[in-house]
Amino acid sequence: MKWMKTSIVELEQVTKIYEGKVMHRALNRLDFEADAGEFIAIMGPSGSGKTTLLNIISTIDMPTYGRVMIDGIEPEALNSNELALFRRHNFGFVFQDINLLKSLTVEENIVLPLTLDGLPIMEMQKRVDRLAGQLSLKEILNRRPDELSGGQAQRTAVGRALIHNPKLILADEPTGNLDSNSAKEVLELLSLVNQTERTTIIMVTHDPIAASYCDRVLFIKDGEFFNEIYKDERRQTFFQRILNVLSLLGGNVNDLRML
Amino acid sequence: MTFRQFAFRNVMRNRRIYAAFFMASVFSVMVFFLFSMLLFHPSIEGSALQDIAVLGMGIAEIILYIFTMFFLFYSMRAFLQARTKEFGILLHLGMEKRQLHRLIFIETFIIGAASIGVGTFLGYMFSKFFFMVVKRIILLPALPLYFSWEPFALTVGAFLSLFVIISWVAPVFIRTGKLDELIRGEGGGMEVHGFSKIRGVIGLVLLGLSYSMAAFTSNSIVIGLIFLLPPLVTLGTYLFFTDSLPFILHLFKVRKEFYWRHFRLLAVSEGVIRLKENARMFFIVTIVSTIAFMSVGILASLTSFASQYREMNPLGLVYESFPGNELEQDHINRLGYELRKNEIEYTYVRFPVLKQRSSLTDYDVMILKLSSVNRLSKSFGNQAFELLEGEALFLPPTASTFEQLNRQSVRTVLEESGIEVRINGAYPYQLFPAHAIGTNAIILNDADYEKLALLVEPSSIYHAFDIPDWQKTKNIGLTIEHSVTESILTGTRSKLHFTFDNPGLNYSVIRTTFTLLLFIGLLLAGVFLLAAGSFIYFRLYTSLDSDRKQFDVLRRMGITDREFKKIVNRQLIPQFFVPWGVALVHSSFAFLSLQVIWDALAEISIVRELIMVLVGFTALQVIYFYLIRWRYLAHIRSPE
Repeated sequence: MKWMKTSIVELEQVTKIYEGKVMHRALNRLDFEADAGEFIAIMGPSGSGKTTLLNIISTIDMPTYGRVMIDGIEPEALNSNELALFRRHNFGFVFQDINLLKSLTVEENIVLPLTLDGLPIMEMQKRVDRLAGQLSLKEILNRRPDELSGGQAQRTAVGRALIHNPKLILADEPTGNLDSNSAKEVLELLSLVNQTERTTIIMVTHDPIAASYCDRVLFIKDGEFFNEIYKDERRQTFFQRILNVLSLLGGNVNDLRML
Repeated sequence: MTFRQFAFRNVMRNRRIYAAFFMASVFSVMVFFLFSMLLFHPSIEGSALQDIAVLGMGIAEIILYIFTMFFLFYSMRAFLQARTKEFGILLHLGMEKRQLHRLIFIETFIIGAASIGVGTFLGYMFSKFFFMVVKRIILLPALPLYFSWEPFALTVGAFLSLFVIISWVAPVFIRTGKLDELIRGEGGGMEVHGFSKIRGVIGLVLLGLSYSMAAFTSNSIVIGLIFLLPPLVTLGTYLFFTDSLPFILHLFKVRKEFYWRHFRLLAVSEGVIRLKENARMFFIVTIVSTIAFMSVGILASLTSFASQYREMNPLGLVYESFPGNELEQDHINRLGYELRKNEIEYTYVRFPVLKQRSSLTDYDVMILKLSSVNRLSKSFGNQAFELLEGEALFLPPTASTFEQLNRQSVRTVLEESGIEVRINGAYPYQLFPAHAIGTNAIILNDADYEKLALLVEPSSIYHAFDIPDWQKTKNIGLTIEHSVTESILTGTRSKLHFTFDNPGLNYSVIRTTFTLLLFIGLLLAGVFLLAAGSFIYFRLYTSLDSDRKQFDVLRRMGITDREFKKIVNRQLIPQFFVPWGVALVHSSFAFLSLQVIWDALAEISIVRELIMVLVGFTALQVIYFYLIRWRYLAHIRSPE
């Protein structure tokens, strides 16, 4: 049935070389495709090029060679202004170190992307209230980031990523700094969004449990495609299969900590 | 790598942070050195004017020294606190506290030595130019560049001692808390969101009260205000930055329809944080800027005093002789001779001043003859007046009293002689300096004056010299001037039965003094300006890391370059211009009350000079803003 789906991200033979005192090939002839509505995890050992891949998809970085197509648009054809606006309207970001703006309250952090586009105040308020309900942030809307628990902060960040109904959510180790309960909360939230809103999510992660929430896991190593597996009926077996690939992949001990 | 090399490399690699601090220090050293070059100049030897110059520069040096001390203390503290994390790592790696102190001592000392070296060098480079300016101001024939050890010794000695003191004290500023807190940097979360409404309101009330007092002051209470207002305003300013401004911004934030608009959300919330973190610094910058504005403004207003001096002293030379003066004819002849010898054109009019008691007011009235007044007036290019017998005119003592006297028409009898006159209106031209012929004087028609002159001896004789080239007279009548000075010094002033006034000479002294003070003041203000900017730059630098992170988030989120610039503008502009604006408002109100003093003294307006000073400072500040924004943007965009 694959030909029926529309792909939102298409990477073809993407290579990224960092010039510098030491030349470094971060990605090498990598093909990648994400269909609309998919929830994808990217895994790989440290230094395998996960973050570079995510940066290229998020149009922060341009490939040295190869073709990138996001939602039918080639980022390289846009100038930096158009790119910024493109990101603002189509992407939502969730970071490992959460990166809420310290000076803003929870509510203000969530509404920030909308204020930049100058939406009517009523509309903004309506969207914040609805999201706050879904993310159970209602009670803490007026707190500041330094008064939040890790889970609350990351939920706020997810709220900020969702407020403008983006087509694509890019998450870089969203559970990296969270305890297991908060991590579970955030992951369930992401998969709920993925199922109800049909929002595409691409998530870089080290954590096989996090990856087990996804539809598909892409493994890369040294900047190249290594393997790819799809989920099955049970999360438990999917998790086992992920672990199997990881053990083949080697990498650092950190990746095997679940064994 | 030895310990000293480590310290040296620390300085070299932190040079971007040190840059503004270094610049301000260098400038301070340079100005100090220039002043000392003049202090020790071999061609300066004790004329009154040169004494003023030396005294002015000496005082300026002391001010500069004290100010630099505070500046260094403050900067050093901010700088060391910004490096808390680095020190935490060093301690973690096992450096002893004692060694850390030595490290900071050496670093501070390197910066100090470099600023002194560069400052003195630049100072010497610029001293030729500096001497050219000073030479013109204090009217010396020559002020050559010289080389002597003394100015070098003074500058190096003064600043070296300063830096040694700072280097010793600096380690005290390091936060020595728990190691892990040091390493995490930033330290304990300051309560940055709170403010007190009451204190905020008190701040606004204090400022409002001071402003209205300054604006509506009258001559009688202005002296009291001079002592009352500065503490009030200082306290008010402090509360304004710590509580009133956050309070006002809070009121703004509550209204989402204003607050949730484009960049306001980011700019205002960031602004509040910066404000709270830096309230004390803004307070200091405001007070320093106010003092700088005030001192330059006051000096400029004194210069304005000099330029309006001519209007107050329309006559070139004035010699007034009282009964019993044997030297009168001799002096007048000498003045005339010296004027002719120096080829200075002049008109001489002799006014015998008669004194009578007015029956109407029971006060003494000074009486001048109409034809003499007309003769003097003609040399100014004015029309002659005519009066019939029995008529007279008021002679207004100052220009501002003309309107009022001109409306009056009175009849009176000059009591001693019994002559009846009708005084109708006032004489419109200002021929004499203020109050020259007393406060109560009239111009009498010639016929009545002649009658009166037969009956009474003149109470004094007023010799007026009208000289169009009045500034050329500074070498005229020096012997007369000298005998007056001598009599004052020996306490025999009462034995001299004359006064002598040479506005040309007085003017050159006044003008020179004020120009000199203004010049010194501008140099000092320059140092203040650089220092204030350096504080701000410093603060920006210490928060650069977190700013950079924030920039990265915004960039991903999709903020265009122009939008980012706008956000930075909205964050930087208040930091630069709010203290500036408050200082401007402070000094404007201060000048309002100053104008009251000037009105009482000399009826002059200082508005024009003030506007020039304020515009000049603002222009400098704008340039400084763009310079620092350029650096800030460059740093924040570069990844590390």
